[in-house]
Amino acid sequence: MKLPAFDYLAPSTVPEAVDALADPGRRAEVLAGGQSLLLDMRLGRAGPGLLVDVNGVGGLDQVRVRDGALEVGALARHRVFESPAAAPGPLGRLLALTVVHIAHPPIRARGTVVGSLAWAHPASEWCAVALALDAAIELRGAAGARTVAAGDYFHGAHATARVPGELITAVRLPLLGPATGVAFVEHRRTEFCFAQVAVAAALTVRDGVIAEARIGLANCADRPLRAHAAERSLAGAEAGPPVAGRRPPPEHPFARAGRIAAERDARPVPEPYADPEYRRHVIAVLVGRALCQASADLAAHTGHDRPGGDRP
Amino acid sequence: MPHGYARREDERLLTGRGRFVADIEAPGCLEAAFVRSAVAHGELREVTCAPALEAPGVLGAWSAADLPGLPSPGLPASGPPDEPVLLTTLTSAEAVAGREWPSLVTERVRYAGEAVAVVVGEDRYRAEDGAARVGVRVDPLPAMVTAAAALRGPALFDGLSNVALEGSAGAPIDEAVWRRAAVVVEACYRQQLLLPTPMECRAFLAVPRGQELTVWCSHQMPHRLRRELSGILGWPAGRIRVVAPDCGGAFGSKSATFPEYVVVAYLAAMLGRPVRWIEDRLESQLVATRGRGQDQRVRLAADADGRLLAYELTIDADVGAYPHLGAGLPMQTAKMATGPYTTPLVHATVRSVLTNTMMTYPYRGAGRPEAATALERTMEELARRLGMDPAELRRRNLIPPGRFPYDTPTGRRYDSGDYAAALALALRTLDYDRWRAERDRRRADPDAPPLGIGLSCYVERSGGEPGGLHEFGGVEACPDGTVVARCGSASTGQSHETTFSALVADTLGLDPALVRLIEGDTGEVADGMGSFASRTAQIGGAALRRAAETLVEQARLRAATLWELPVDQVLWSAGTLRPARGVAPTLGLGELVRATGPLRVDERCTSGMAFPFGTHAAVVEVDVDLGAVRVLRLVAVDDCGVALNPAAVHGQALGSAVQGIGQALYEGVPYDDDGAPLLPNGLLDYLLPTFAEVPPIEIASTSTPSPVTPLGAKGAGESGCIGTPAAVVNAVADALRVADPGLLRMPLTPDVVWRAARAPKAGDDR
Repeated sequence: MKLPAFDYLAPSTVPEAVDALADPGRRAEVLAGGQSLLLDMRLGRAGPGLLVDVNGVGGLDQVRVRDGALEVGALARHRVFESPAAAPGPLGRLLALTVVHIAHPPIRARGTVVGSLAWAHPASEWCAVALALDAAIELRGAAGARTVAAGDYFHGAHATARVPGELITAVRLPLLGPATGVAFVEHRRTEFCFAQVAVAAALTVRDGVIAEARIGLANCADRPLRAHAAERSLAGAEAGPPVAGRRPPPEHPFARAGRIAAERDARPVPEPYADPEYRRHVIAVLVGRALCQASADLAAHTGHDRPGGDRP
Repeated sequence: MPHGYARREDERLLTGRGRFVADIEAPGCLEAAFVRSAVAHGELREVTCAPALEAPGVLGAWSAADLPGLPSPGLPASGPPDEPVLLTTLTSAEAVAGREWPSLVTERVRYAGEAVAVVVGEDRYRAEDGAARVGVRVDPLPAMVTAAAALRGPALFDGLSNVALEGSAGAPIDEAVWRRAAVVVEACYRQQLLLPTPMECRAFLAVPRGQELTVWCSHQMPHRLRRELSGILGWPAGRIRVVAPDCGGAFGSKSATFPEYVVVAYLAAMLGRPVRWIEDRLESQLVATRGRGQDQRVRLAADADGRLLAYELTIDADVGAYPHLGAGLPMQTAKMATGPYTTPLVHATVRSVLTNTMMTYPYRGAGRPEAATALERTMEELARRLGMDPAELRRRNLIPPGRFPYDTPTGRRYDSGDYAAALALALRTLDYDRWRAERDRRRADPDAPPLGIGLSCYVERSGGEPGGLHEFGGVEACPDGTVVARCGSASTGQSHETTFSALVADTLGLDPALVRLIEGDTGEVADGMGSFASRTAQIGGAALRRAAETLVEQARLRAATLWELPVDQVLWSAGTLRPARGVAPTLGLGELVRATGPLRVDERCTSGMAFPFGTHAAVVEVDVDLGAVRVLRLVAVDDCGVALNPAAVHGQALGSAVQGIGQALYEGVPYDDDGAPLLPNGLLDYLLPTFAEVPPIEIASTSTPSPVTPLGAKGAGESGCIGTPAAVVNAVADALRVADPGLLRMPLTPDVVWRAARAPKAGDDR
């Protein structure tokens, strides 16, 4: 499949890009890393009349800490986060644990975090992380700038709160406090393909009790999800020692949270090789594993994190 | 792999200097794109091509109705009567009669993606733009994508059965045998449809010039393509030249004369301009040939000591929409049903059932993986029922070396083998006892992920079927001292340039750098069969060896005449002639040619069928909570007789083992309810094993020369597709101790394994 014909503009500033996107008659799309859009165009699933290539827009590749959050610009490539030092403290660890599951190195060198949020694939790792962390998506359109909370952003498979003509300039990921353990676990058929299920988890523990649990789910519904019910089941639970063995015992809070995520939070869609029954089972297993790993991560890093991060 | 080994073709291919069909420059060339039916089965009501002509750069668009003279591909490999017909003993004219595969759909669509129109444009982009504008209306009929559905469904061809072909091998087995046996294992298996997936999909370029047509095609059998195009187009073969340039892989999927080829050749001749068709990946996944496709039932009987008494294999093959070579292919499975064992009674029956999918066709292994996998899965289960070590069960039943040639109950004559030696080497290479101890340790530890060991002993067939067991080889001495070798084979990645140049050089005593191989060009090579059925080293190699030997004899005769000596007084060594006595100067080949004129020998060589064999062993670990299988180790011991180029054989063994892992664990084509393949994201949905999935693989070999092939060589290169799948599946079965072997249905995706892990366990341990 060859690309269909399209017009192409390469603006150098955000206002120019927004201007270029403004005309609804041109069916414009933003081209950043192009790792999903170009494939969709070849497959006939996207047919923009105009591609607005933002790769030459200055400043969009910035990754910086501001006001308690990591601000990831629209051109920050996946691979930036392969180093846990790219963000302070547990957030850096979570992003580094996540990014290795995204495609493979050549794609990570080109594709962008914000592009994943724009594409909003149900199996997207970054979307699950954004939901788990209460990320804020910063949009700029002809009518000005606005911020949408991740919880309000995902409307379905490839459907979001972003309206035509809007450019995502950045995503803001809140930093995680030092008493937080993180994990990202993924189950897929080969290293090449989309996740059958993936889980992002962050556990904050105070005085031996889980003060806050954050769980993001990829490919557990027609859109990325946050496992609110499972999170609530964990609040106030004793953190306990790290779980020994392959899986938490059935009565353990982590195992219970897994079952709740599978039964109450997830809305699995049938796919070849993953019917809803199997997928619910995998969700329960993976949420349990992610929580165990987050707990182990916390134990491993307790006493090492300084407020403000461990960036050298 | 020998240290520092490099293939002669590597520098060209690895530095981007390979020349593929898409690279051939043909001034004024048009590109073709096909309009394909989204519906798998239905009546074609209307095709509207006119809108395509309004797209910029589109030069033409045609449906079948617009091209009344367009011929159909016709029967596979129908040659002139004096020319041996290739493999057609496996299929029959009756199977095809009334069920011809059209070049473009005329009345009824029978598989998703079947071509209903063709558009040519200045380039592929424009041709696709035009194709997108062609209107197609099909009234859908129920699609039947399984043999079971087609056996009870409406006729694909009015008035004709959906069973295209029935056959059997061996004699029916008396029911009393089953009643009296100590153990009878019964099971059902599925050999799923696979996509051969070469890196380069199909590619075809037709360049007309006056009364001649030159065809460039990524193809395994250029002479067959020329012969078939000649028959189909009604042109004398002498006016058609077929060239197969560098090829990005075939695995069996590039030997037919496909409808697209006929359309493109026809249009090129009609328009008087070059026309090219380069299939893309999505198109290939939709309409390139499929491999395998069998529903199998087995019964295996043994006495209490594990001696095999009888084996019965019943095959319903789903062969796709039109009977072609794939309809006869399940007979290969039937004939190889005996496997490497002394089972006295073996009976295999085949029904080739037409379905609404693209056709099956030989895919690396071609009928033998289906035979080996069914038998070896059943042997694993038999060992469990008997409480016997699976290695010991096999040892008791392998055909011993002293019984060759061995006539099987299913009509094969195995040429030679030491099957037990291959099994022993595999067990030793794997360190079988250590892994069994580890497996048992884990069985005692509820927290340890289960581990399993799987064995698979196989025997296969190489060279082809009677009537097709010959090949052309020619050697020519050039005035400059170099030598040109010509062979009727066509490399699709099998190192012919390296192996054959070395073979000819070795026969002549020359430096291999002085030998140049020409193949894959009907304008340069007088005759040829091609590369398929693991036949090229076995038969093409023999033809080249004989041609080189004959050339030496002719060179000696010429020198004898020149020197006025009896020929036995002329000696040959290291590419040089010299008199046996005296001090006369020596004479190189080039000098001889300069003195006496062109020297060229063409040979046609025939070989017997050979039967390579081996044992593969796999160790896997299963994450039972997710159903994920990790292959920890794979050992492949193969015996291909005399290996002409051990490094090339090693590479082939490795590649085919990875494809075997692909069948066992990853590859499959799901279909939706309307019969369309569910692969919306291409290779993100049809998963091949990638580097990350390839386990440590150890390749080892034994060498039992074949007495029926001139060089003692047997075919190599399909071994992994044949031997590996059952080894991997058996290892999973061993880890999970599943009572019903049919539950482990390939591909063993995590959901399948998870369900199998929760199913009832086999009662007894061993």
